[in-house]
Amino acid sequence: MSAKHEDPTVVPSGNGNGGEGELYGYLAEYDTPGELKEAARKVKDAGYTEFDCYSPFPVHGIDPAMGIKRTILPLLIFGGGFSGAAGGLLLQWYCNAHAWTWNISGKPTWSIPANIPIAYECAILLSVFTAFFGMWILNKLPQVWHPLFRSDRFLRTTDDGFFLAIDARDRRFDAAKTRSLLQDAGAIAIEDVHHDPDPEKKVMPKWITAFIVASTAFALIPFAIAAKARNSYSPEPHIHIFPDMDFQPYNKSDTTNALFDDGRANRGEVPGTVARNHLQADTTFYNGLEMTGEQGTTTAKWVTGFPAKYPEEGRPFAVDQALLDRGRNRYEIYCSPCHGYDGRGQGMIPTRVAAGGGNWQARNLVEAPQANGAGGVAIQMPNGQLFNTISNGYNTMMGYAAQIPHADRWAIIAYVRALQRAQNASLDDVPADQRGSIR
Amino acid sequence: MSALTKSLHADEKIKPGKLGSNMVKAGAGIFVLFAIISIILGSMHGDNYKRFLYAFITAWSWTVGIAGGMLWIILLHYLCRGRWLTAVRRISEAMSLAFPIIFIAGLGFVLPLLFGYKDLYYWAHPDAKNAALNPHMVHKLGWLSPAMFALRYAIYGVIFTGMAGYFAKKSREQDESGDPAISTKLRVVSGPAMILYSFAMCALAFDVQMSLAPKWYSTIYGVSFWASGNIAAFAAMALIVLWVQRNGRLTHSVTEEHYHDIGKWMFSFTFFWAYTAFSEFMLQWYGNMPEETVYFKYRMFGEWQWVSIAILVGYWAFPFVFLLSRWTKRIVPALVFFSVWQLVFTWVQHFWRVMPQYDWETTFHENTKLVEGPLMGSIARHSVGLSAVDITVWIMMIGVLLIGVGRGFKGNLIPTKDPTLGMSLAHEVM
Repeated sequence: MSAKHEDPTVVPSGNGNGGEGELYGYLAEYDTPGELKEAARKVKDAGYTEFDCYSPFPVHGIDPAMGIKRTILPLLIFGGGFSGAAGGLLLQWYCNAHAWTWNISGKPTWSIPANIPIAYECAILLSVFTAFFGMWILNKLPQVWHPLFRSDRFLRTTDDGFFLAIDARDRRFDAAKTRSLLQDAGAIAIEDVHHDPDPEKKVMPKWITAFIVASTAFALIPFAIAAKARNSYSPEPHIHIFPDMDFQPYNKSDTTNALFDDGRANRGEVPGTVARNHLQADTTFYNGLEMTGEQGTTTAKWVTGFPAKYPEEGRPFAVDQALLDRGRNRYEIYCSPCHGYDGRGQGMIPTRVAAGGGNWQARNLVEAPQANGAGGVAIQMPNGQLFNTISNGYNTMMGYAAQIPHADRWAIIAYVRALQRAQNASLDDVPADQRGSIR
Repeated sequence: MSALTKSLHADEKIKPGKLGSNMVKAGAGIFVLFAIISIILGSMHGDNYKRFLYAFITAWSWTVGIAGGMLWIILLHYLCRGRWLTAVRRISEAMSLAFPIIFIAGLGFVLPLLFGYKDLYYWAHPDAKNAALNPHMVHKLGWLSPAMFALRYAIYGVIFTGMAGYFAKKSREQDESGDPAISTKLRVVSGPAMILYSFAMCALAFDVQMSLAPKWYSTIYGVSFWASGNIAAFAAMALIVLWVQRNGRLTHSVTEEHYHDIGKWMFSFTFFWAYTAFSEFMLQWYGNMPEETVYFKYRMFGEWQWVSIAILVGYWAFPFVFLLSRWTKRIVPALVFFSVWQLVFTWVQHFWRVMPQYDWETTFHENTKLVEGPLMGSIARHSVGLSAVDITVWIMMIGVLLIGVGRGFKGNLIPTKDPTLGMSLAHEVM
């Protein structure tokens, strides 16, 4: 150990391909992290400021030894996180409560608990960005053109080398004194490090600058396209990114196909046949119609009761609690948005129309038509006509045949009948011993 | 001369001497005095000691969380080959050795339940079996029955006592033999032990606290319970380490770097607790299903909303902002302030969990039996304020904790032959 200290190998540099330029400074190597720390303390105590230490791993206590103040990065990160949280809240306020208020099931447009997750994520995002980019910027990294990289010895700093480098620009730098200081501090090797003689290589390489400028410019292209599209009209069709998904080799319904005589892409059923499970001969169940008379002279009228059985399953049709429960469940899903839970036509959609200043009400299902225009015809319809209304629609109401199976339509009719009865009930319908509780 | 390890200072005092027995004596005095006061105050409530038992569960949760947090940091220390803790690990071990005493003290609410006390947990009330009254609860009654509850309580006691005892015993054996294989062995055991710990701690929280609201459910409850326990655990650890140092022990070995790390754990669980508690609240609030919101509705409106706001500000926002900084964890008086603060607010948090459920009762309305109060989210019946018995029972349980921790001060106060001791003594927060 001591021999090394007395006679450190002094190695002139000159490893750079372009020869030697002006002196950058001295690079001193130390044997252990502890010796590096001691050397740093001596260099600091001698009044140097333009020097830095390099080691493969963080060395405990090196910061005070070098006289480095604590970083302000944590404060910046706090500021970043705080701005993120505030920005996230502001974004949500602007979008939801200011620029585009949208009534979603009557929920408030501005509500702190619902906004916390976004604000939290924004706080994390900005504090992490501040930490990551702040670390690079405060350390003035990356500097791939740094003259120390011209020393082969210095490359060991990522493996097992502990280095201290003093910049020749330090006002206390003196070729002989500085060298002996490093030597006295126990250096096992001291190297002169020179800048590259090519002045181009002393600054950030042009290709990095070009890359940053070019990638910034490319990053603006999507915004530019979006801005152009927002402010111009185009006669061209949309861009098809996946044309084979947009244009597939099959015929859509109700289009043409020259292959067939009739030119239609749709192929009809073969005459005289019925597809499996499509017979639906029970007109009461499937159409709400009661057919009388022989074939060819039949007359149809609306069914007034309920079907006798479920034709597909064969079990008898019963108007019981289970049917009413099912009907209520389906009614509240499909019918109540317009007709309301009580059937008086004041569902969520009319309520929303009224909130927007309009005036539209759904048909009142539970009251008979009145002279002032209130009420509706549903209460007077036979069951079969109600069934037909649900299946095929009525005035502006579209049919629900695609959404509601036949059996569920009958369940809804049973529930609507119960609703009509309940909405028109009088106090006499309530058992005598419970009247007191609702009066 | 690398600064990565250090050897134990020659003048270091590492024998506890009378520290442990003094602590046990102080704890026993506090326990006896406040047990008498609490029982008298409890009987004055005229509710068949229901209030006393609710205060008991609040304080017991606080106590078990402290021992639980200390056992957890020991498991984690071995599991990821931690180093910084080694110098203060004996304090953690002593605190985790309080488990047997805590579980014996907990019999104070388990035994009445076992002998037919029906006013504490609604599921132990005869009405709970009424399927018309509790259609969504009766199926749980096989699990939530006094005998099953007591059985599980015993299992938790055995698991926690056993794990804490095993890790402390092996660590002391290493002081004798200096065998580094013991550290390896404990590292191997700590993995399965951590899994067992997690399940046991969650189940304990479900049983003791969450079943006070037997119709409500929250799968994150156990995590939240454990997180708040860890806040209190590290807060209490900072105070006990300081007390040990003030008594002339470990004065060279434990530095502000160790306080800094204890403070960092307290800080991280302050945030983590808030994260779990908000996750629990947010999903149920947004989902807006009556069987879930019942729990928060009772706490969001009326008198309890002020407790909720106090917890949000006092248990999270204020300590979070200040513990972010380095100095609050490295300057010991600041750390002591926040430790005491978080110990108090951990109790407030348990109070907020437990005490709103106190108000349940069954009443008759027009020949129909109804369950009112917090079980149904009815906020019209708020009547719970702070009672003196809540505080005295808490102090009584602090006595229990001191007895348990004092008993844990055995052998050396520092693991002298632990292979990681040198690195812990040289520990430095970068």
